[in-house]
Amino acid sequence: MSRAILLPLGAALAVIGAGPAAAQTVNVAINADIRSINPGVNRDDYTDSVVLHIVEGLVALRENGSIGPLLAEKVALSPDGLTYTFSLRRNAKFHNGAPLTAADVLWSWNRYMDPKTDWRCLSEFDGRGGLKVEAVTAPDAHTVVMRINKPNALFLDSLARTDCAMAGVLHKTSVNPDGSFKSPVGTGPFKLGEWKRGEYVTLTRFDGYVSPPGSSPDGYTGAKRPLVEAVKFIVIPDPATTKAALLSGAVDTAEVQATDLLEMQRSPKVEVKTTTTANKHVFLFQTRDPLMGNAKLRQAIAASLDMRQIVGNVSRGLARPNASVIHLTSAYYDDAQRQGYTYDPAAAKRLLSEAGYKGEKIKLITNKRSGRPSFDMALIAQQMMQAVGLNVDIEVLEWGTQIDRYNKGNYQMMAFSYSARLDPALSYEQIAGPKDTQPRKVWENPEALKLIDKASATSNVAERGKIFDELHKRFMADVPMIMVFNSVDVNAQQKRLQGFTPWVASKPRLWEVRVAK
Amino acid sequence: MLGFIVKRLLMAVPTLLIVAVSVFVLVRLVPGDPASLLLGDMATPSALADLQRRLGLDRSLPAQFGIWFGHVLQGDLGQSITSQQPVLPLVWDRFLVSGRLVVVAVFLAVLVAVPAGMVAAWRQNSLADLVLVGTSTLLLSIPTFWLGLLILLLFGLKLGWLPVVGHVSFAQSPGHALMYMIMPVLTLFLHEIGVVMRMARASTLEVLRLDYITHARAKGLSEREVMWRHAFRNSFGPTWTLIGLVLGNLLGGIAVVETVFSIPGLGRLLVDSIFGRDYPVIQGCLLFVAFVYVVVNLVVDLLYPLFDPRVTAS
Repeated sequence: MSRAILLPLGAALAVIGAGPAAAQTVNVAINADIRSINPGVNRDDYTDSVVLHIVEGLVALRENGSIGPLLAEKVALSPDGLTYTFSLRRNAKFHNGAPLTAADVLWSWNRYMDPKTDWRCLSEFDGRGGLKVEAVTAPDAHTVVMRINKPNALFLDSLARTDCAMAGVLHKTSVNPDGSFKSPVGTGPFKLGEWKRGEYVTLTRFDGYVSPPGSSPDGYTGAKRPLVEAVKFIVIPDPATTKAALLSGAVDTAEVQATDLLEMQRSPKVEVKTTTTANKHVFLFQTRDPLMGNAKLRQAIAASLDMRQIVGNVSRGLARPNASVIHLTSAYYDDAQRQGYTYDPAAAKRLLSEAGYKGEKIKLITNKRSGRPSFDMALIAQQMMQAVGLNVDIEVLEWGTQIDRYNKGNYQMMAFSYSARLDPALSYEQIAGPKDTQPRKVWENPEALKLIDKASATSNVAERGKIFDELHKRFMADVPMIMVFNSVDVNAQQKRLQGFTPWVASKPRLWEVRVAK
Repeated sequence: MLGFIVKRLLMAVPTLLIVAVSVFVLVRLVPGDPASLLLGDMATPSALADLQRRLGLDRSLPAQFGIWFGHVLQGDLGQSITSQQPVLPLVWDRFLVSGRLVVVAVFLAVLVAVPAGMVAAWRQNSLADLVLVGTSTLLLSIPTFWLGLLILLLFGLKLGWLPVVGHVSFAQSPGHALMYMIMPVLTLFLHEIGVVMRMARASTLEVLRLDYITHARAKGLSEREVMWRHAFRNSFGPTWTLIGLVLGNLLGGIAVVETVFSIPGLGRLLVDSIFGRDYPVIQGCLLFVAFVYVVVNLVVDLLYPLFDPRVTAS
């Protein structure tokens, strides 16, 4: 076909395919469709990423992992640590124009605590997890008071949890007269526009939004002005297609794989930002296994692994090793937390001998989920372990099967990834607990469990720091698991996108973002 | 004829029943359940138990099957665990998206592949035959995933002629819908051409060897008349059966193509629901696919006598 035909044909196709000129819309790629628009009910990370643009809670995560006020202007704690008084911001409004009042917060909270709502975090607040919110009252239109059963330093952290949708405050018109959920009417900078299942979700700017104080975003607090007219989360399941969409300009921002970093950096239209997150990539041990129950064997495995090589390789040089369950950017990450295992194959062999290891097979379970380093970690670790005389077989499982084995504690060793917990006590709670009632837990040292409870009860920063340092020492000695590294998100975005910054919680924030002309 | 159709549809009932039971049992044999996948690494025992109870997973397997199948008999395939949408409309909507692509691609592939196969057979061992067979072999050998990505990169990224991501329904905008269809249809078209052309060539070669073709040529008929009036109709039967199988296979889902082009089709729905252990959707999809197979093969069998009068409905 001659150029005389091809060029006009291509131009014609491009014009037809371009669609109407888009008003300021930021297009964000997500790998899978959201599950629902009902906050905290049926969710995953993508769902939270979208819904948390629509709803806001009383408090929220800051950039450094601490908790700051959001719909509350300030939070006061009684001396006995049992009563939290939230003073609401006076200028916050719902998407339907109604002003936020304490009655709305009360209504919203009662709805979450109703079992019929299916709020996934109900058990965190109804006493089954230890913490119980005994009463919630609204003494006046701008004050909400919550009383809990016992002092708990993590109460506000739990309220701010993103998987709980921050206990986001909804207006009554979010539900139908029969109580069934209709559509979220929140206070966030964006409103729900259109949700085309399997394709995209569009959010539109809430023109009546009044930002919390601040000159820039600070996690989910700080400045939150919606500077663009709309945000469109487009479902693109394939990483290669995501890359093509970025390079062609069809999307403005997307998380890409570390292997695509160089190519993205070479593009004149795209820039790349990397952020260390609080997600954890680890090797788990089943300490109740007859073989892996031997602490010396676990210590030998720890000594056999060159973490710098493993992490440098699987993260393409972007991440660094972290032997602590406290993430690298936490305020509690200090010199004590920096202590890790020393790579020492000779010591590993000696420990194996002391452990009485006779070459028994160790099964290392992993998976090949896209975007996770588990398989590569397992492969490299296997070679290193075999080099010191360990007999290791890799078993690759599909993720659903692996999580089933994880929940049942049915494994010897596993390459695994944990989702982010910003508070160190929550991070330890994620891995530690009694295996009799929670087989998924990896660390059941009674002293450690007491220390974790203590850290959960006290708000004193210095005291908590000492507790976490002690916990880390015990963690290193017991080796119930090997913490390898915190993942690094690689975010590629069009250069015309201004103000977009990825952060430790690994969720996009499209407020304070504009598209340059 | 009507009796034949009714008989074939009734024969499908035991098939669908076997599919229903097999699918129900097989998905539950796979380790992992929807509750643990939904909760991920945050699954406390109480949260897990709560969710399993709400999803009915704490009931015995026969009870779960009885409840599900009872609803199926009333035309209700249940509700998706992941999205909480009713399964039947969900499957149907996704099927329409995939079905449109498949039907168009296969139709175009047949339009091109059948004459190409006949030409290859007519000019057996010539340069034309070599080129056509070589091309079909090459197209058959290329994985659809790779082919799709190449097409995406060329037309979407390099040339910028077609949109890289997205999907528009015909109801919204026929023009835009066509734009978004071009690349996935082209991918399927190129892949299926190889299959159909090889069959068309093989069956035409068989027919061209028969005495009546020599007789037709001896009578002085032009090659065009020989090929169209005599060879085509008698050779198309096996190709028609293959087209039925190809259609049935593709209508069951083109997950790879749907993933590359971000199309919300049936294949992606099935794959996502398997990974998410969304039992009602897996069961609903597979039951629906089995039904589609039955219908497609029925249509193929009904139309077969058009090409081979020796074969009748009885």
